[in-house]
This record gives sequence, structure tokens and C-alpha cells, in this order.
Amino acid sequence: MSTSQGRIFAFNQERDAILQEVIQRRLVAHGRNPDRLRLDLNDAAFTEITRIEEAGQTSGKAYGHWRELYRRIGRLDATGLEAELARMVRHYARDVVGNFDPRVYAFATRIVPPALSFLWRPQFNWSRLLNLSTARERILVQGPIDRIRSLAGKGTLILVPTHLSNLDSLAIGFSLLTQSLPPFTYGAGKNLFFNPFISYFMHNLGAYRVDRRLRFPLYKEVLKTYSQVLLERGYHSLFFPGGTRSRSGEVERRLKLGLLGTAYSAATRRLQAGASAPGIWVVPCTLNYQIVLEAETLIDDQLKREGQHRYIIEDDESSRLGRILSYGRQVMNLDASMVVQFGDPMDLWGHRVDEDGESRDAHDRLVSTRSYLCRRGTPHEDAQRDHEYTEELGRSIVAAFHRHTVATVTQVAAHAVWRLLEARFPNADLYGILRLGQGIGYSERRVLEAIEHDRIALHRLAERGEILLGSRVRTGTSEAILATALASFGMYHQRAALARSGNRIVIEDPKLLLYYRNRLTGHALPALPEELARAAAEEIADGA
Amino acid sequence: MAREPVAVVGGGSWGTAIAQLLGQEDRPVRIWLRDAALAERINTEHRNPRYLPEARLGEGVVASTNLAEVVGPCRTIFLVVPSKGLREVARSLADHVDGDRILIHATKGLEGDACIRMSQVLREETCCRRIGVLSGPNLAGEIAAGHPAATVIASRYAEVVDVGREALVGPRFRVYASRDVVGTEWGGVLKNVVAIAAGVSHGLGFGMNTMAMLVTRGLAEMTRFGLAHGAEIETFQGLSGIGDLVATAFSPLSRNYRVGVALAEGQSLDAITEGMTQVAEGVRTTRLVHALAQRSGIYMPIVEAVHRLLFEGVSPDVALADLMAINRNPYEAESVRSRVG
Repeated sequence: MSTSQGRIFAFNQERDAILQEVIQRRLVAHGRNPDRLRLDLNDAAFTEITRIEEAGQTSGKAYGHWRELYRRIGRLDATGLEAELARMVRHYARDVVGNFDPRVYAFATRIVPPALSFLWRPQFNWSRLLNLSTARERILVQGPIDRIRSLAGKGTLILVPTHLSNLDSLAIGFSLLTQSLPPFTYGAGKNLFFNPFISYFMHNLGAYRVDRRLRFPLYKEVLKTYSQVLLERGYHSLFFPGGTRSRSGEVERRLKLGLLGTAYSAATRRLQAGASAPGIWVVPCTLNYQIVLEAETLIDDQLKREGQHRYIIEDDESSRLGRILSYGRQVMNLDASMVVQFGDPMDLWGHRVDEDGESRDAHDRLVSTRSYLCRRGTPHEDAQRDHEYTEELGRSIVAAFHRHTVATVTQVAAHAVWRLLEARFPNADLYGILRLGQGIGYSERRVLEAIEHDRIALHRLAERGEILLGSRVRTGTSEAILATALASFGMYHQRAALARSGNRIVIEDPKLLLYYRNRLTGHALPALPEELARAAAEEIADGA
Repeated sequence: MAREPVAVVGGGSWGTAIAQLLGQEDRPVRIWLRDAALAERINTEHRNPRYLPEARLGEGVVASTNLAEVVGPCRTIFLVVPSKGLREVARSLADHVDGDRILIHATKGLEGDACIRMSQVLREETCCRRIGVLSGPNLAGEIAAGHPAATVIASRYAEVVDVGREALVGPRFRVYASRDVVGTEWGGVLKNVVAIAAGVSHGLGFGMNTMAMLVTRGLAEMTRFGLAHGAEIETFQGLSGIGDLVATAFSPLSRNYRVGVALAEGQSLDAITEGMTQVAEGVRTTRLVHALAQRSGIYMPIVEAVHRLLFEGVSPDVALADLMAINRNPYEAESVRSRVG
């Protein structure tokens, strides 16, 4: 195995050592102060009891256990507290730690691509089953792959993708494989491990388990420590910094940076252990779909009033085989139905990194990344400093997400028509537009004018490097964009965002229109010209 | 342990005062300036004969025109150059620093019409992240004379504040800490506009009631503007906000104040600036802040009045009458949280 294939191939030999290290570090961090330990345990017990009660699972064994512990904590002496904490840390560390079996990996890499091809072209076809070509035509993988591959052999990569769909992990796995990039370890929701078949693969492909229901610090710190130890030991890691799939369809603007923040302490420890440079790099990545599998559920969830939305959705389209097959049959038949866009690798301070791993600043000067982790020339841990670094890195990632967003025809058409709706209902709020927009149609000419306006603006943004354009948006006329968008909208969703009815373009599902339009809101395209907005408003008045 | 040297980039009066504070108890300080002859004299006379002759510099203060030599061994670097020159200095500095260095600037001002703050200039030009700002009611002459005074160092990085504090504190100088870089920088910029208004008031012969009104309501405007730009309200209640405002507005020595007095006497802006070797920062600030406030719909009647005086040919009497006659919801006008377009 070459080094660029990744540390993960040796995971099983290291597994126990990693586990022990995580446990050890957590125990040291918790310290031996009985008041502090009591507080940590109380916090865990109280959070869990409340959660279990809210979930109505009070008949389970866990509930009884936590109640019993909760009663007992007050009476425990220092030794008892330490023992209880150690037991808990061990339990959660074991629960988190993954596995990697090279045999399973070898098997999966042989079986997964044909299986994907099969999914995307279900007519039984042996010749197709034996090669990757179908999926290759459907999923475009773009970006500075050579540089990323080179860095993967020189240090540790953190892949940070946007997150829209449960197909994301699949698409990323596929891209890594076809581009000869090494596998990445990542934290997968525990719910994905319930299915024994999927669980077997995930567990043996380096994924570790994240139980997103557990909110207490003791558990989160175990997770973070695990992630840190993996980075420190050179495992390429993947984090979805959005935390969860984007509900609104927007490109992530606020990130959850907890796991990413572990990179700084990992890098500092590496330097303290004698490394000459941090050697950890961040690779942003955007996943761009013409049609999103779970669009309807996600936007529905988003539109439930503020604070009501669910962080964990377990019953969406991705859990229904029929929808997946229909998605595969219809949507994946499109050429380039999805683009996996890798961005420029950056160091932990947002600088550009060349293929030798050297960082350069905006003035093209070489940057010593080591110095950021030093105090008076010596590597030094500083949580407050790293917190600020993480925040800044988060902003760099958000900017990279936007720069590397690939605008698709569905987004452009939805964005343009949404603008027409806004012009028609200038005083309505979002919910008003959704209600009033249902069933409204515009003449094709008007829609084309609006698309043309956005198309030109997008080309300008693209010239400045602020966005990327999908092939149809890049080369197509407004007519071509609209035609492709209508075809895409019509092929999978229950109701189309937009559909043709005679010579009018009708909004069948305003929520989906909003969802696809949202992908472009972060780019702040210019408003429609006055006369077009006015014409749009008046046209409806005539036609109504 | 040998005490580590601290660098001061800029040998004007404020830079000299900072070097004096840093050099207490003969602590090693390296000061950079362009003028070789002046550097020579500082090194022989232990004072800066041109800009702040009354300040006695410690034995450890060494001046040089060689930037690399000055900042090379220094982990902490104070930048005290005029706002117009900061970018150029930062650009040369960039070749000699790495991410381990601490940069603290003490420059009040904005760069260009894009209103780039000084910490942003440092961030753009150097690879440094540990950046802070020092700001407060600090008239260099009074510091040199040893009058008790205090200042604020603001940075997102606790290390910057700790190190800066440690280097500067002394028996007559207190240093307060803040995380609000944006508010601390804007405070030092916005006060100049109010200082012009204070000068006008003085020039028209008004007394302390009027001054108190201008300072209090001026602070409300500054706060409102700051909040809209991401600052924190507490910052304006502190030394770099109200503190600096009071010192500037009540100091007849400040250039901005003198511009105000001249305006009250009926002189035109051109005539006033012709007679000054250095243009008062507040004139430019008024134009920029006025434009920003208009664009974002921030209610700033005093800035508006000063803008009319400076750039719209309105007489002081009329500007003042208009200011006093403003008719709006008094509760809303009182609040710093309301933004009215």
C-alpha cells in the first residue's frame, strides 16, 4: 500500500492504542476534583434523563440506569466518582471508535461502483455492471485533484463538504475512489448503524459512530478527543461542517466547528512531538445536484416555524427504496446530474497550499504555519487562540463553499422565477409568497427575460471567480437553461417546482421553487430591472 | 531571565510616548523611524527632540532606521504610524514577521474611501493573526509629563492583550482589556467628528451645557454607528469610547477642535486646511461616516450638521438651529438601539 492510500489501512493494528489514548486523555482532562466530577456526572445524567423522558422511552433499561446513577451521585466519594466517570468515558469511547478492514474495503471498492451504476441505470446489463462508466458520466468530479492527491501523501487531509443529501457520503466515496484518493474516516450518525448490512460496511470502512442524540459535554468531548487523536496520528478525516443537511437548500453560512477545532491541538501536539510543520490541510468540497433526492422533506422541515425544525430526520425520501430507485432511474439518467467540486486545499489559516504542502499568503509569500502554533518559537497549546483560529477558518470555508458552488439550471430557473414572484407580491413575506404563488404562471417570454438577467449576472460572478457554472448554465442560452430545468423538475418530484402549460410556465410547487432558488441566495445576484419587475406584476394582473 | 525587547514602529509623538512607557525600568525597547539623524539624536540624548522633547526615554530605548533590525528580535510590535502610511509600513514589516508575533497598533483612522480599519490593513498585509488595537484618552504630552492615564487594548486573542498590558503598565498608566476590536477602532475614529462640533460650539461662545449635550448625544450617535458595524455597546462606555471623546472634545489642542473653532468664526474649509500643516482627520472622517450612515440608515444628526457645515456651505448658525429643531420621537432619538432611515 502506498502512503497516499492512507493511514486507515493500518487502523486495526492501532485501534486499541487509539482507544486507550482517548480514554486516558479524557480522564486527565476531567481531573480529580470531586466537585468538578460530580458536576460532570450530574450534567450527563440530567441531560440523558430529560432526553429519554421527552422521547417517551422511560420503560427502557437506560432510563432506569440513569435514574439510579442520578440518585447515587450525591453520595459517591472521590474514589466512587472517579470510578463512575472512568466507566462512562470508557463506555462512550468504545461506542464511538470505528473499525477498518482492508478486505472489506477491497470488496467494497469492487462492488460499490458497479452497484452504483446499477442504481443509476437499472436495466440489467452485465457490461455496464463491470465498469464505472455510467456513474462516471453522471457524476462529474472536478477540482485540483492532482494537488489534493499529492498532499494526501505528504500529510493529513480534512475534507469539508457541503451537505444537502444522504447521497452525499455515497457521492464522496465514489469520487475519492475514482480519483484514486485515499479513504477518509468520518463520523456517521448512529442511526445509520441500525441497519446491519450498512452498519457492517460503515463500521469496517473507518466510519466512527456519532450519537447525535447525546448532548452532554462528557460525550462530546470524547468525540472531539477521538477526532483529535485520529488527526494527530495522520488519518484523513471528513467533517460535514454544516452539521446536518442544509434544510433550506442554501449553501452553508454558519458552521459547526467543534470537530474542525480539534485540528489545531492535533497540529500543536504533532509539533511538540517533533514534526517540523503542522501538515494538516483542509479541502473544501461542494456537492451540486440538479435535483435533490430529499428536497421536499428538507424544505418542509425548514418552513416549520423557527426553532421547530428537526435536527435528525429519519423518515425522509432517502429511507424509502421506491423514491431512491425512482431518483436513480430518472434523475441519474441526466448527464452530469451531479457535480462533486473539490476546492483548493488550504492550511488551517486559510492560506493556499501548493502540491508540496507549502503555504502562501495573498501576496504569494511563503508562510510558516508552524509559527501560528508557537509562543516564543516553541509549540504551545492555547485553547482561546485556537478558538479564534477556528472561527476564522470557518469564514474561509464558507467563502470557499460559495466560490466553488456550481450553479445548475434548476437553481437558475428557480431563482429567476422566484424574483418574478417577489415582484408580484412586494408586500408579502416568505410564507405569503409561498401561499399566493401556488399555481401562478408567467409567459415563457417573461421567464426567459428573468433567466437572462440572472444568467448574465452569474457569468459576471463567474469571471470574478465568485461562483462556478454548470456546463449547461455556462454554455447554454436562457432557452436551453429553461428547457433543461423544466425537464429535470418534471422527472422526479411529486409535483414540479416549475412546469410548462401551453405557452406559460406555471409554479406547481412554490416550496420546491424556493428550495432550489435558495442555493443561489448567498451570492446576492442583482435585483430584477424595474421594467421587468413591473411587467411581471402587470402580466399576472392581466392573466389572472 | 533576560527581558525580551519590544518594538515600536513609528517615532512621532505618540510613538515616543509609548516607547517611554515601554522603556520604564530600563526595559529594552527598539524604536523604528525613517529619519537617521533623528534616530541618532534619540540614541545620544535619550529623548525625541523633534516630537516629544519632554519625554525622558529609558536607557534601554534604542532607535534605528533599519526595520529588520528593530523588529527581528521582538515578539511584540507596537505600530504607531499615521493611518495613511500604515499599509506601506505593514508591507515592509511583513517580510520580517511570522505568525508567532504580536502586532498592536495605536493608529486612529481609516484607510481610503472604503473605510478599511487599521487592524484590517495589518491583517491584509502581514501573515500575522495575533493583532490588537490600543486606544483611549491618551494625549502624548500628558503621558510624557507623567500624568496618570489609562488606555484599552482590544484583541480577539487573549495573548495579545496580556502581553500588551504587561509591557505597558506602570505606576501612572493603567491598561484595560477588551475583545471588541471593531468598537475600539471605530471609537477612535468617530470622536473626531464630535470634536469638530465641540470646537464650533466653543467658537460660537457657548458654555458647558452645550458641550455636555454635544458629547452625550455625540456618544449616542457613535454607539449607534458602532452597533450597526458589529461593535459592542460597552466599548463606547469605556475609555476608548466616552473616555477618548471627552479628552478630544475638551482639548483645545486637538486639530479637529481647532477646525471647529475656525468654522464658527466663519472661515471656509479651504481657508482652514490651507493654514494647517496636517489635515485634521475629522474632516475626512465626517465625509466617510456621513456617507456610511446615509447608506445604512443610521441616525446621526450631529454628523449630519458637521457635514453640512464642512461640505454644504451652511453657516454655523443655521446648522445649529437645524440641529436644535429636529422634530422626532424623543424616545426613539434617545435610544442608541434604534436605527432610523
